[in-house]
Amino acid sequence: MVPEDLRYTEQHEWVARTGADTVRIGITDYAQNQLGDVVFVQLPETGKKVAAEDVLGEVESTKSVSDIYAPLAGEVVAVNEAVVTAPETINTDAFGDGWLVELKLDDPSAVDGLLDAAGYRGKINEG
Amino acid sequence: MTDSQLRTSPLHAAHRDLGATFAPFGGWEMPIQYSGGGVVAEHTAVREAVGVFDVSHLGKALVAGPGAAEFVNSCLSNDLRKIGAGQAQYTLCCVESGGVVDDLIAYLVSDDEVFLIPNASNTAEVCRMLAAAAPEGITVTEQHTDYGVLAVQGPKSSELLEALGLPTKLDYMAFADAEWEGRTVRVCRTGYTGEHGFELVPNWDDAPALWAALLDAAAPMGGRACGLGARDTLRTEMGYPLHGQDLSLEISPVQAGSGWAVGWKKDSFWGHEALRAEKANGPARKLFGLRALERGVPRSHMDVLNAAGERIGESTSGTFSPTLKIGVALALLDTSAGVKIGDEVTLDVRGRSLRCEVVKPPFVQTNVK
Repeated sequence: MVPEDLRYTEQHEWVARTGADTVRIGITDYAQNQLGDVVFVQLPETGKKVAAEDVLGEVESTKSVSDIYAPLAGEVVAVNEAVVTAPETINTDAFGDGWLVELKLDDPSAVDGLLDAAGYRGKINEG
Repeated sequence: MTDSQLRTSPLHAAHRDLGATFAPFGGWEMPIQYSGGGVVAEHTAVREAVGVFDVSHLGKALVAGPGAAEFVNSCLSNDLRKIGAGQAQYTLCCVESGGVVDDLIAYLVSDDEVFLIPNASNTAEVCRMLAAAAPEGITVTEQHTDYGVLAVQGPKSSELLEALGLPTKLDYMAFADAEWEGRTVRVCRTGYTGEHGFELVPNWDDAPALWAALLDAAAPMGGRACGLGARDTLRTEMGYPLHGQDLSLEISPVQAGSGWAVGWKKDSFWGHEALRAEKANGPARKLFGLRALERGVPRSHMDVLNAAGERIGESTSGTFSPTLKIGVALALLDTSAGVKIGDEVTLDVRGRSLRCEVVKPPFVQTNVK
């Protein structure tokens, strides 16, 4: 399951445009499946400024812990508190209610440099 | 993910068909969880219905010959004289320093025959030590791939075994050799989950047919195949030690709270002098349970700090408890720190502090009997 209208990273995150210079970020369905039952999520404070590849937080499953990376540089403008209280939402709806943070990008055009759906499918050997 | 160095269970193909995620465990490539399940669903199946685990990676060994039971009793820690033929016992194989080579189950078949189930990665060493010490006439035979081991665990475990015509009227830790479709299966009332359950020991080649029959009969009962991921969360909720983490050559049974598996009244067994001295003087550190008071997942080898921020020990096992929906851990704490049940300590989770209450395991009620 790799929705066409999203962009992707090598770290199995998805990026959706939500405005001219804002994006919403989450982990892909492939990533949640690899992780297994997600039981803990740590997210940054809003207002935090991040460079691309900086650690934004953590997603931990019964098996292992994974860092969440900022796909692009910007400022954290929203975090999904609901997923902190109900981490299993990432397993049930990775591309929807399981979103993690929203960023205001330093360079909105940088989104175009991310993988598209076909590129990400190639990476996970799907399709 | 496959590694040609790893050994595989007789059910490897069956696990692949069930969409298992595999991981190396004690030199074996074993299923961690199954597609359509996952650790939490598999864990819950065991607590509420029944789960079937392949634990064929566990070792098997036979000690046989005149006086085999007496010989084993002079080596391993627990007192075999406390049980009779047809009963099994949790016991430890220690070295002279009191460290633990392995924890294992000894099945007392007769005075002249003891069947052992050690951990996968320690089987060769346990066999080597026993063989080196065995008097003439007593043989130690490693049987790792002669038998499979299937664990059937949960409140519906008896119902499931009855559906296959296997014996269930066994006291806790008693075993019987039964017939199933013309094949011999050893059935023991034991387990590693804290639930009422059994471990079945079929011949290696009979394991796939027995596994398939168990899963077929389990499905309508809400039962399912369960992987080693759930086995670990289940045993951690019970505070059962895992060798290599909570018990090891460096962690003695006196420290780990496993003194109940030591036959203190016996004249001799491996490590008895060191263990008696440690018991008399009091261990320098002791295993406690930690129950998280806030969100966060403890893992092994995390520092435990007191209120003053001083390091007083480290976690040896830790996980998210699917039953309690909170982090739980086992931790070795310095006796000098004077920690008591009910105290609050802090666990250093990758630089973040996680407040925990010191508790006495089990974390979840035991239903084994």
